[in-house]
Amino acid sequence: MKNVLHWDPPEGLTGVEVLYTVQYFIYGQKKWLDKPECRKSNRTYCDLSAETSDYEHQYYARVKASRKATCSKWTETGRFYPYLETQIGPPAVALTAGEKSISVVLTASEKWRRTLEEGAVSMQQVYPALVYNVSMYSPQSHRMWWQCVANGSLVVPWLEPDTLYCVRVEALVPGPPRLPLPSEKQCISTLKDQTQEWKIK
Amino acid sequence: GQEFQFGFCHVQGVKLQVLRKAFGTLRDTVQAQDNTTSVRLLRKEILQNISDAESCYFIRALLKFYLKAVFRNYYRQASELRLRRALSTLTNNFLALASALQPREEDKVFSLAESARRRFLQVQGAFQQLDVEAALIKAIGEVDILLTWMEKYYQ
Repeated sequence: MKNVLHWDPPEGLTGVEVLYTVQYFIYGQKKWLDKPECRKSNRTYCDLSAETSDYEHQYYARVKASRKATCSKWTETGRFYPYLETQIGPPAVALTAGEKSISVVLTASEKWRRTLEEGAVSMQQVYPALVYNVSMYSPQSHRMWWQCVANGSLVVPWLEPDTLYCVRVEALVPGPPRLPLPSEKQCISTLKDQTQEWKIK
Repeated sequence: GQEFQFGFCHVQGVKLQVLRKAFGTLRDTVQAQDNTTSVRLLRKEILQNISDAESCYFIRALLKFYLKAVFRNYYRQASELRLRRALSTLTNNFLALASALQPREEDKVFSLAESARRRFLQVQGAFQQLDVEAALIKAIGEVDILLTWMEKYYQ
């Protein structure tokens, strides 16, 4: 759950040295909080992942521009709800080929963490109802399969031996629709048909 | 629709995506009007550690509260903001859900109902401390929190 605030420079000031200050607010609490790394910074983004890591809270952020002695008003975001708005990264995908089947093993992505010392939290823990949308494609026959799986493994049977198949996987979680982040396409060939081999000899 | 199990209350045909979509229509307008951001009705501490058995009582209390104290009193504003259809969708689905969530006589446990009631009174108390208009806006702006909590009981 990496949450980064982005903004555009004020109009008409592109190329001019403008510094920005960011604050954030936890909905239901009392005051705006500073983000020291994003005080008087010339970047037009601010990583608030650490500050918004409790995904059951809701947040606001605001930014103001300053140049020499003058300061702009604050510009404020809407209410941000990480649990419902964070994009879910794709799982790790491991493929194993058989003669007429391909085994797909999926490992859910991990929640963003500040340091490696922090314990890893799987997105499966954050979203118990997380499912995977597995799509498989055969470049040769142009056939396509889709399957939704809840646990992390799947075997696709009845495939052609010695044939290339490509797989892409996307994690789906409850809540409003989100921008999909599918995994990279991974391809693997099924093994040669052993019975054919023996006949030939 | 989807199936939910709130403790011993089982309910089918819940259209959570319909509710999400309806709320999505209202969200930006309503949350932008909420100026008392230092108050959160459905606080995290209230929604945490609710036992399964208690959840049916709690969700019923919340649904009744939204139907009687919130949605019913926001129709004029919703009409002015052209959000009436979305509010009606929320109302109708909450109504269907509330009527489907009837704990059976043999499952009624006084202590659980009491615990759920104490939780609910915290929500209602915070609501009643606000100005009427502000309270309505805040409660509606928090429907996403309620739906997210409900989703944990999805089967």
